[in-house]
Amino acid sequence: MPIACEFEYYKPKTLPEALALLAKHKGKAQALAGGTDLLVWMKEGLRSPEAVVDVKALKELKGLDLKGGALHVGARTTFAELIESKLVKEKFPLLWECSRTVASVGVRNRATLAGNICSAVPSLDSAPALLTYEAVVLVQGSKGKRDIPISQWFTGPKKTALKDGELVLGVKIPLPKKHGACYAKLGRYRGEDLAQVGVGIMALANDEYRVAFCAVGPTPMRAKRIENALNGNKLSDELICRAQELVPQEIKPISDIRSSKEYRLHMAGVMLERGLKAAAARLAGEGPAYGESVL
Amino acid sequence: MPELKTKPHSKRNHEPPKHDGSKKPAWVKPALELPPQETPRTAPEASQTAYKVVGTSAERIDGWEKVTGAAKFTDDIEFGPGLLYACVVESPHAHAKIKRIDTRAAEKVPGVVKVATGKDFPFKFGLYMKDRYVFAQDRVRFVGEQVAAVIACDPKTAKRAAALVKADYEVLPPVLDPVKALEKDSALIHPDLGKYAHVPWFFPKAKTNIAHWRKIRKGDVEKGFREADFILEDTYTVPRYAHCAIEPHSAIGLFDASGRLSMWTASQSPFTQRHGFAEALSGLGLSHKDVRVITPYVGGGFGGKAGISMEILGAALATAVKGQPVKVMWSRAQEFYNTYQRQGVVAKVKLGVKKNGLITALEHTLYWDAGAYVEYGANVVNAVGLSATGPYKIDNVKIDSLCVYTNLPPGGPYRGFGYSEFFFGLESHITRAARQLKMDPVAFRRKNAIREGDILTYGAPMNPNGLLEAIDKTAAAIEWGKPQKPSGPDKAVGKSLVLFWKAPAMPPNASSCAFLKFNEDASLNILVSGMEIGQGLLTVMAQIASEILTVPVSKIRVETPDTDRNPYEWQTVASHVTWGCGNAVKRAALDAREQIFDVVQRTLHLSKDSLYLEDAKVKCRTKPGWELPFESFIIAGIEAEDHTFKGGPVMGRGMFMPEFSSAISDPETGQGGHPNVHYTTGAGGVVLEIDKRTGKAKVLKAALAVDVGKALNPDLIRGQVTGGMLQGLATVLYEDMRFDEKGRLLNPSFSDYKIPTALDIPEVVIPIIVESAQPDGPFGARGMGEHTMIPAAAMVANAVEDAVGARIKSMPLTAEKIALELNKK
Repeated sequence: MPIACEFEYYKPKTLPEALALLAKHKGKAQALAGGTDLLVWMKEGLRSPEAVVDVKALKELKGLDLKGGALHVGARTTFAELIESKLVKEKFPLLWECSRTVASVGVRNRATLAGNICSAVPSLDSAPALLTYEAVVLVQGSKGKRDIPISQWFTGPKKTALKDGELVLGVKIPLPKKHGACYAKLGRYRGEDLAQVGVGIMALANDEYRVAFCAVGPTPMRAKRIENALNGNKLSDELICRAQELVPQEIKPISDIRSSKEYRLHMAGVMLERGLKAAAARLAGEGPAYGESVL
Repeated sequence: MPELKTKPHSKRNHEPPKHDGSKKPAWVKPALELPPQETPRTAPEASQTAYKVVGTSAERIDGWEKVTGAAKFTDDIEFGPGLLYACVVESPHAHAKIKRIDTRAAEKVPGVVKVATGKDFPFKFGLYMKDRYVFAQDRVRFVGEQVAAVIACDPKTAKRAAALVKADYEVLPPVLDPVKALEKDSALIHPDLGKYAHVPWFFPKAKTNIAHWRKIRKGDVEKGFREADFILEDTYTVPRYAHCAIEPHSAIGLFDASGRLSMWTASQSPFTQRHGFAEALSGLGLSHKDVRVITPYVGGGFGGKAGISMEILGAALATAVKGQPVKVMWSRAQEFYNTYQRQGVVAKVKLGVKKNGLITALEHTLYWDAGAYVEYGANVVNAVGLSATGPYKIDNVKIDSLCVYTNLPPGGPYRGFGYSEFFFGLESHITRAARQLKMDPVAFRRKNAIREGDILTYGAPMNPNGLLEAIDKTAAAIEWGKPQKPSGPDKAVGKSLVLFWKAPAMPPNASSCAFLKFNEDASLNILVSGMEIGQGLLTVMAQIASEILTVPVSKIRVETPDTDRNPYEWQTVASHVTWGCGNAVKRAALDAREQIFDVVQRTLHLSKDSLYLEDAKVKCRTKPGWELPFESFIIAGIEAEDHTFKGGPVMGRGMFMPEFSSAISDPETGQGGHPNVHYTTGAGGVVLEIDKRTGKAKVLKAALAVDVGKALNPDLIRGQVTGGMLQGLATVLYEDMRFDEKGRLLNPSFSDYKIPTALDIPEVVIPIIVESAQPDGPFGARGMGEHTMIPAAAMVANAVEDAVGARIKSMPLTAEKIALELNKK
């Protein structure tokens, strides 16, 4: 299917050049990294930018490394690179596990984590991991840099805190303590799918838990009430039951073509239970291998 | 719904024909039907069943090209810089009158060559019922219907200009439900239905939305229910489905200066398309000789590329830009909403049974959501009407299969041709009836299973079949009766076994032809117009010729057709080409062999009766050691004693038409005629594990036994079973099309219309081949391609009930549906 809109394509070599282009085409420029969302939207006529600014030549957006006690994920980093990284697999297993569920192999070879959070769809697979790891989004505009906590990043369905003229440089994830994790994703079959419910769980020592959901509200969200109910308590069926009872207070699912509200609510509870058990087991060095679905 | 009465079709006596068993049924005449020779002429020691090539899993002759990605499909063909591209303007409404179409702005866009609307092509087309136009004329009948097209120098210019075509509509209430469409106050989708041309076996009801009503009245259904100890009645619903071939539809048309229209299409039906194009465009002075259809490899058809759908646009638009090729290629979204869709159905099943397990009566009423145009889909409805008893002997039957117009995309053929749809209800019902009788569902099926000679719904006898063997082998494969332990505390395992059958749904005179040409080195080119659509037709045709002529498959070339070069074939649909086209190839090979024997007898004075073929040589039973290699005479002829040459190039010709078939019967009872050439039967079984919390189903084992008559290439059959099973399981576990209240398709993409991936393949698939010869099939073969997906839906529904006790009566049985059923508060 052809792209019907006319646009200028730029591939700036420096960051100031890129920011100048975004400023020049204020509101009518789109940054292009993997293009796995943008190109589809342009073909379908959902976006008709006047300028497309390809960021794949910007060295400032490159890199996947640990520095200053945090993982720096440059905006050009693809999901395939995250999955292939030993560092990510060992230190950030939740990010690793959720990355493997994003779209398909072909898409993951191009799609970037930064692009993913800029799309900001409610079903964003990477969001529960970033929320529980308390990541920070690094952005820069012509007026300077901003660090935006991921908890303030998602402002609505397909809406973010990114301002016009700003570019995402990357995502910074503080190195967490030793933990077990689980990303449970509900799909309609085993092949690639958009999450109907996503639950990311992090189990730390001393009975500390972090829980985040996606696809069950206008934005991905941390579930603080559930975390409070869990924290400090030994994981038991009874405790899980109490946590499950809080699910309807935490999430606001809708009915759509992918799932009914009722099934989403039901499954959020089931997945919370299975995710908690898997994360706790993994912390203890047991349980299913990372990447193995609990559904 | 109102009872709609029709006048009797004719005044003939409609007593069903008597079959007393002493006379051979009409189809048992292969020896008469297979000229010139059916006597064994292979090696003397070889018996009829000891074949050398058929029955072996010869390697696919198109395999190398396809696995290396070298195979060319329609969109791969280069037409040079002069190629034009068309983009259609689509109706945003499901039902509306077209008030005006303003093309002026589009025409002014630089690069636009032509903007066409319905006014340019006021031509109707359709396979069985002429109810479609090239472009909508005064009325649109589904969202996405073409009202105009822009032809431009490149795709994006065409797309930009198409957005500038302004169409004004008067919106009408859409008819979206096939049952509501029958209510008195429903809007009429085709007010002129009474004037439409159609085949004589359709019975449209003018001034209603009923495009065709197939009735079967056999025995006395009221008496049957009176005799029953127990009656079970329920309603089952099946939504629409999409074929989802990986290759989208495409058509390139070139109307040249000589007045010839050449078409390159992704199609299962080159000759039917040629006929359809020539017929629809005859108003422009085209005749059949002027139309040429070339069909390269097809990247999946499944019925979606049968007949004519979007290809008519390529043909019509080509005539508007004489001298330049024009390409129409569907996007994935158009693939979903503007090609044939599998029709939805609401099926009411009423079954009467005796305590001893004997079925006494069946009433089966099917309301088909056939869509805006039923030119092909009405025949699906017809086929089901003839066969909706399933493979059971039932003496008292009442079937009403109603083809109902709705303002949804046109329904049409889809692998299974309506059988998957009606079997969901029927086979769910059979298991439920058995359970109510406290009878084993497999024993119940075995007891009522149809046998050779039993009378079919329309009065003809059932063909030979291995149904009982298929039941027993499937039951053994899934260890029927043996409980299986679930893999965890939230899990439950269920088993089920269901039956299926299907007949090719064809006009009675659907025919197949073959030419077979020998070359100097005794290699062969076979020309057929059966399509290679992934099923392996080319390979099997080569095997058939190889068996007769003893030329190895590696020395035989069979390719996809060009209607100018290749002989006639009706269509590659209905699982009939192994049978029909196979018979034609076999006859062509026999014809060539006869020519060989003739020239040897005439020139070398060896009796024809003593001759046989082996290793591409002529040999003689009475002259051991003598042999005549093909290459010594197959083109050049045989040199006689006087140094003249006799014979010449050997060229076989074969044709097959089932001359015993007829479609005409009493419209009120369906009795008389012989509309179906034969049925292929079988059984499917599954071992299914359900997660009771999530509702997710995992197929631990799927087995399918199909009576193929004779397995010409067992590996290809196993491939069909695996693929068909997977396709069927997807339709029951997660696929379906969803429409909003305005008739707009909500999931025209793979984001929300899910087809199986490699991860979704069952853990074990067991294909079981049953061989109960089809007397008039090539080497006893009959078709089996579609059949492999037919049992899936009921198989899963019954296994779900067996596992967790929930009976779900609407497809698909998604995890959501199962979980919500099990976790009802």
